[in-house]
Amino acid sequence: MTMILPPLVIDVRVRERDARGFRIWFPLVLLWPLLFVIVGFALIVSMLVDIALFFAGAKYHHYTLLLIRSMRLLAEVRGTRAYVNNATSLVDVKII
Amino acid sequence: MSEDRARILGMLAEGRITATEAETLLDALQSPTPESAATPTTPATDWPTGPSAGKAPKFMYVKVTGKDTVDVKIPLALLRAGLKLTSLIPPQAMSQISDSMDEHGMSIDFNNLKPDDIEDIIASLSEMEVNVASKEGDNVRVFCA
Repeated sequence: MTMILPPLVIDVRVRERDARGFRIWFPLVLLWPLLFVIVGFALIVSMLVDIALFFAGAKYHHYTLLLIRSMRLLAEVRGTRAYVNNATSLVDVKII
Repeated sequence: MSEDRARILGMLAEGRITATEAETLLDALQSPTPESAATPTTPATDWPTGPSAGKAPKFMYVKVTGKDTVDVKIPLALLRAGLKLTSLIPPQAMSQISDSMDEHGMSIDFNNLKPDDIEDIIASLSEMEVNVASKEGDNVRVFCA
């Protein structure tokens, strides 16, 4: 079983034809500790909500699973790339 | 030394990231093809030119050529994760999503999607190819490889 990690780096390059462009290279890995704290807290809350909904007889009590699948969706963004080059500008976005 | 590597090593030297995190970042940098920071090249030159016959596809590619050049690469795992997520969306939210999609001419009932269907959809994408050529000379290609 391979471990699925959230995105490590986002690299955005923007360049206008007649102007100096810019590049944002941000290591998302720096946000991981904050993400883990938020997700950990959200997991506890969602589990309590699911338990309460289950005992209340609600049909839908899958908020914890929804949160986990959402995190999976976030992790699978790795590898996405969008490159747009037109007459006036160039945009290149990479999620590594 | 590339600009990216220098930045990672700089962050490591400053103690902002650990040696393990630096190694992970350096590995991630090596996986895609290296490019010059000053002159980003068209990524499509390194991408497959058509569907992968027989092999399980990993990415969906959208290529637009003509006046504008657009190259988009989307991991199919993202599509799979998204489809699986739809089965867990609360019913009230799902009905709102369905209504909104209906208004925009897309009548898709995600409640009917089963896990087996999702795998079948992903598998059949390997044979899919969409080619659109406009009068203005723009060419759009969508395929999975």
